[in-house]
Amino acid sequence: MKIPNKKKLIPSIISVIIQTIKIYPVTLFLFALVVLFASLYPGKFLTPLNLSTILRQFVSLMLFALGPSIVVVTGSLDLSYVGIWMLGGILVWVLMPTLGMVSILVIPLLGLATGFIVGVIQAKAKIPSFILTLSVLVIYCGLTGIISGGISRSVRGYEFITRRWIPYIPTAFLWTIPIIIAAVFIMKYTKIGIYLYAIGSNEEGARLAGINVDNYKILAFTISGLFTGIGSVIYFQNQGGSVPVVLNLNTMVWPLVAIVLGGTPLTGGSGGPQKTILGALTFTVLFRGLTLSFIDPTMIQLITGLLLIASIVASSRGSKGVMIT
Amino acid sequence: MKILVGVYPPDNGEWYYKGKKVPFPKNPKEAAKRGISIVYQEKGVIPCLKVYQFLFLGHEDKYIKYSRLDIGQIKKYAREILEEFHVKCNIENFMYELPLSTQKMIEIAKAILNVRLEHEDNNITSVIILDEPTAPLTIEERKELFNDILNMKKNASFVFVSHIIPEVMEFTDKVHVLRDGKMVAHYNLSKDRITEEDFFRAIVGKESLAHIDKPEIKRVKNEEVVLSVEKLTKNGCYYDISFELHRGECIGIFGSAGSGKSEIINTIAGLISFENGTLTIKGQKAKTKEPPHIRLSRGIGYFSGETGKELFLNWPITKNISIVNIKKILRKFIPVINFNAEKKMAEKIVQGLKIKTPGVNTDCYSLSGGSKQKVSVGKWFERSPDILLLEDPTIGIDVGARKDIYENTLEIKKRGISMVLISDDPKEYSILCDEIIFIKHGKIQKVISGEKFKEELEK
Repeated sequence: MKIPNKKKLIPSIISVIIQTIKIYPVTLFLFALVVLFASLYPGKFLTPLNLSTILRQFVSLMLFALGPSIVVVTGSLDLSYVGIWMLGGILVWVLMPTLGMVSILVIPLLGLATGFIVGVIQAKAKIPSFILTLSVLVIYCGLTGIISGGISRSVRGYEFITRRWIPYIPTAFLWTIPIIIAAVFIMKYTKIGIYLYAIGSNEEGARLAGINVDNYKILAFTISGLFTGIGSVIYFQNQGGSVPVVLNLNTMVWPLVAIVLGGTPLTGGSGGPQKTILGALTFTVLFRGLTLSFIDPTMIQLITGLLLIASIVASSRGSKGVMIT
Repeated sequence: MKILVGVYPPDNGEWYYKGKKVPFPKNPKEAAKRGISIVYQEKGVIPCLKVYQFLFLGHEDKYIKYSRLDIGQIKKYAREILEEFHVKCNIENFMYELPLSTQKMIEIAKAILNVRLEHEDNNITSVIILDEPTAPLTIEERKELFNDILNMKKNASFVFVSHIIPEVMEFTDKVHVLRDGKMVAHYNLSKDRITEEDFFRAIVGKESLAHIDKPEIKRVKNEEVVLSVEKLTKNGCYYDISFELHRGECIGIFGSAGSGKSEIINTIAGLISFENGTLTIKGQKAKTKEPPHIRLSRGIGYFSGETGKELFLNWPITKNISIVNIKKILRKFIPVINFNAEKKMAEKIVQGLKIKTPGVNTDCYSLSGGSKQKVSVGKWFERSPDILLLEDPTIGIDVGARKDIYENTLEIKKRGISMVLISDDPKEYSILCDEIIFIKHGKIQKVISGEKFKEELEK
């Protein structure tokens, strides 16, 4: 491989940067935030401890945002992730005495089954996925409450999942890497990925091109459920082997913000897991920065809501060029 | 049309109203003040409203009594209006409960009412623009609608936009023929004696396409039947359609819009089901209802001609082509996309069809209309299904781009791909088809060979 001489190196680096910003506009925002917070809190922001906290929060956001971002690509929405995590966690507690260590597998299985059932109902009954998955979430929260008796239950025995291997790097983050790679791989390098993008971009066109649209929509929800299930296992232990029994709105909304902020429009057709990584990272940095600041923690919720609206507007503007004429 | 009712502004031109020159209307409401109203081809009806609610939509503020809607008076007036136009329906019905032709009549009544209410004068003559009013209707419903509209002629003047020639002949007094945005002919039907063929010639135009040689192998020695259709029937659309398609043959189904030709091709593609008869694909009987992906796996590809439907506009050319050719670009051992192969395939098509583009990674929405059409048809040429259904393959593109598409079509035909063509352009049939089936009101009229059709066209 030839090494470009110095004169050409700088322009080529600049062109790479411009290209990246074009495809991932959120990088600019991320960069600005890092610079801003680093200069505002010089001794606090760029410390190993803080960066490690950012990584931990990024992981928990990413694990929930990954699966749904695949569904959003097809133009639908999957909100059931928190439900899968909560009900799955409680089921582990229920099954632990009889099944032993294997019972942790119930979470991915529950994710898979939920995704499949939601997909079938959505594709065959042709109802809006937003309402459907929201109902699933509510049902699962209810079931969690009933089974747990309203008390948070914790399970021991899975500590090895989050035992620290490398200082300052949360082990949960290491687990997340292969999951993210798998999701990006499916969406970018396989037939499934192309077909899902096609359905989100132009459903009628996908049907005419001989794609079994219903089956691939079901597949999208199933993959999403599976990813959420696997992610929930890690998140479950990350929280000390227990799950909350009351729905926290933030855990539901933040992944959505990460998806949209990353640049996947809710109408589907573009974006995907690789963009969600950046969205999740940006949101975490913003969140950490705000936590360090004098702003009241409750204000952060307000800012999250405004950011969601702003990024939805921005992402729908960005896709203007693709309006079907 | 849309300029007349004030949806778009014109670049140039003058407007005379009652003999005086006035500026063009800026919005539909202003147009209604001058007596012009439009009935759109589709989506004009709001299904969840009751008839009287729909009729007076947008004029409610004229019927306010004690600061609320005077429903009694609206209902009374609605009844009168519908009686005047001989529309038989109950005003308490919801719009979606009514047959399509009645819905269309109510829309027309609403258009007239619109003008009247804007003037607050019941005797004003209105000009109603009908934009292909019969497009969504079946043959029987069309007849009903026509009788009703003829009755209405005493209440209003109509501008009737259509490409269905018999309808125009039956319904109108004067005709202007437009082609490529220019007025090319003008007839006064009550004085001039005009035949359907005259119309056709005016619509199609005399300048011919660049000469394209047909491949010499014609009606083939290869007698393998790939598609056979027997007594195919869908009530309201087409009846008793039978034909056989041989390998490497192209059959054209020729008829005016509304004759049932696009329904036939949609049935073969699997978009709509049929009721009676048999459809045999490569020796295997097909079910009456099979979605397109199953038909494709049996070897039927369908090109719909509409770029909006076919293309993924926010995608580069490469992906748009690989969407139906994904098997060709997957690696052998692990089913992963080979991006090099994808690029090569796209480059081959771009070269073959002479698509003008800076590169195969260009997003499709930035391409010209002709190039878009070439990309969307090119993906099917690359796929080469045994049977390719072409619907308006060259609609809305220039002569040069057409020639490129025709050459490539004939090329894959030589390779043994069979085709069924429907089009609005008779010349297309003479260039591509070996056999042409004439269809009218959903029934086969006659079948002639491609050469004979060409001779007749050149007469």
